Amino acid sequence: MGSILYYTLGAIISFILAFTVGITYMGLDRKITARVQNRIGPPWYQNFLDVSKLYFKKTNIHQGIMQHMGAAFMMVTAVMALLIVPIFNHGHFFPNLNFQGDLIFLLYIMVFGQLGMALGVGQTGNPNAAIGITRGLSQMTGYEIPWVLALVALMIQYKTTSIVDLMNVQAETGRWLMFSSPFAFLAAILAMLGMFSHAPFDIMVAPNELASGPISEYGGKYLSILMSAGAVFMFAKLTLYVDLFMGGSSNLLALLIKTFSFFLIPVLYGIVSPRYRTEQAIRYFWGWPSLFGLLAVIQAVILK
Amino acid sequence: MKEIKTKIIERIKSHFQDAVERDYDYNRLDFSVKKETIPSILFYLKDEMNFKHLSHITCVDWLEEKEFEVVFILWSYTDRLQVYVRTRIDRDHPVLDNIDMIWRQANTYERELKEMYGINFTGLEAPEEFLLEDWEGPPPMRRDFDTREYAARTYYTRPGREDAQDVRETIIKRTGEELPDFAKKYKR
Amino acid sequence: MVFNDKNSQKIVDIIENYARKSSLWILAYGTGCGAIELPPTVTSRYDSERLGIHFGATPRQADVLLITGYLTTKTLKRVIRVYEQMQDPKYVIGFGSCTINGGMYWDSYNTINALDRYLPVDVYINGCMPRPEAVLAGFAKLQKLIQAGKADGANKYKENLDWYRTNQKKVIPNWRMPEYNW
Repeated sequence: MGSILYYTLGAIISFILAFTVGITYMGLDRKITARVQNRIGPPWYQNFLDVSKLYFKKTNIHQGIMQHMGAAFMMVTAVMALLIVPIFNHGHFFPNLNFQGDLIFLLYIMVFGQLGMALGVGQTGNPNAAIGITRGLSQMTGYEIPWVLALVALMIQYKTTSIVDLMNVQAETGRWLMFSSPFAFLAAILAMLGMFSHAPFDIMVAPNELASGPISEYGGKYLSILMSAGAVFMFAKLTLYVDLFMGGSSNLLALLIKTFSFFLIPVLYGIVSPRYRTEQAIRYFWGWPSLFGLLAVIQAVILK
Repeated sequence: MKEIKTKIIERIKSHFQDAVERDYDYNRLDFSVKKETIPSILFYLKDEMNFKHLSHITCVDWLEEKEFEVVFILWSYTDRLQVYVRTRIDRDHPVLDNIDMIWRQANTYERELKEMYGINFTGLEAPEEFLLEDWEGPPPMRRDFDTREYAARTYYTRPGREDAQDVRETIIKRTGEELPDFAKKYKR
Repeated sequence: MVFNDKNSQKIVDIIENYARKSSLWILAYGTGCGAIELPPTVTSRYDSERLGIHFGATPRQADVLLITGYLTTKTLKRVIRVYEQMQDPKYVIGFGSCTINGGMYWDSYNTINALDRYLPVDVYINGCMPRPEAVLAGFAKLQKLIQAGKADGANKYKENLDWYRTNQKKVIPNWRMPEYNW
């Protein structure tokens, strides 16, 4: 009984941590973009204000049950991914729902949220939303290939499907996986650009051509939930990358530094890039990133 | 440019006896024709004289003469020359031949003229309303349509606009300036 | 300080109003010529994003409806639909002299003259056109009103719906709007 309470408390605290860090990173993203464009930019806490303003909206319109569920699916996906990914190396307090095979489970669960959104926006009947989610799902077929190839390479090379085992491997050998399997790292980093749907791969939410795509019928509290879910999911994905390729982190400061350096990759790449169309994005992902993924698999088979 | 213009005038006059030309600008020619001649002269200008581009179709309301004057504005890319083709039609029964088989974009202008002046083009396929939505009054661009009276009747006029009728009157009231003679006939 | 219902409600109001005033999303729907003043307002030179003002994409997400310039009766129909799709609390800014008294189109046959007879206006920005400085000043005024809790145009619209509907139906004779829902 005591341990259940203990882990529940840990889960709540890790959620709060993920929410705070994720929203702050989003604000810093806006700040960095503004500075690059020679603007002052919003304060770093602007996204907290946005989320709370959306939460304080007095009315909410929804077209049906599935639209409720669309927002809920995103949140569920984010929290589930957060609970499975170990936040710290030896986190006693933070819950670790790890098990053998959680990498494969993560591959599934990361798609689940967008599929749920697709069902949700299907009910809104908004053509912009339908186009947006179609583009998002097609882009997903693009970046899933290098991402899966990178993970498969890691699984073959170290004969495990558990994140904790991979972290232990890095701790034992003292080398981060980004050095010992560089091709997998490259493929995963390039897939990450698409996974964050940051520019130039933001055709899904393109505000000035699609009226913000899938979320165009979501306003008020729904949008608040979606923004929070996005922040939490982003933090979970960043932590996963840190765990897989940088050997995890032992304290909060190391976690923040490592995740932020990963976060800077899509941000800085996006600032200087125009938006890709869907077929351009898919061609991009099925080009060099997939090649790196194949090389990673070959390297893993040889080194096995 | 002079020779090109004389040549065009000669050819047009030999084919269309009712055409009255007017030459008043460097690269502009002006033909007034009867309304029955309109499709044939436009066909001729497009196919034989290389006036490929229809810039605009517009209308002038000659209220005192009880006539509409419809103006077709064409442009030739080879001769760099603009041609106006004018025709007068009866104001009470304004009917003209539809020409959107010559230029497809004429359809848009004809629909506009139909709504704004009430000119009927025979055989024009334009079922729905185009620019004016739910319009019930007379065609608004006719000169006998009193827009100010209509606006005062339909829309709320905010108090404080009464003195904004003519800027000049306000200035005279303030400074005692003399109103010039030509301005007096525009006095409201 | 006594924590009764009224006091705690006051504190909640202050927090809510602070969040609302610091994050105003404009609906990117340019009705007239004034929309051309908005790009300089939000881009590098005047940078309204530092005040939390930027474009929201759809009526569901936006807070502020900017009526940028003249409103023809045809556009008014769309604007009313858009306004009713927005989520409460919502604000309307009349932008340019055309929204105040008709401006240079005051005797035109299809532009309305006084916007506040058709939609509840919180702030007017006059000028033809108002410069981006004036736009930002108008937004500052709106932020002050929101912080004081006085920008309640949406409530005014709900309470006096009959009056607004009568005026709207006077200029839109064929009222073919979808059924009313907030």
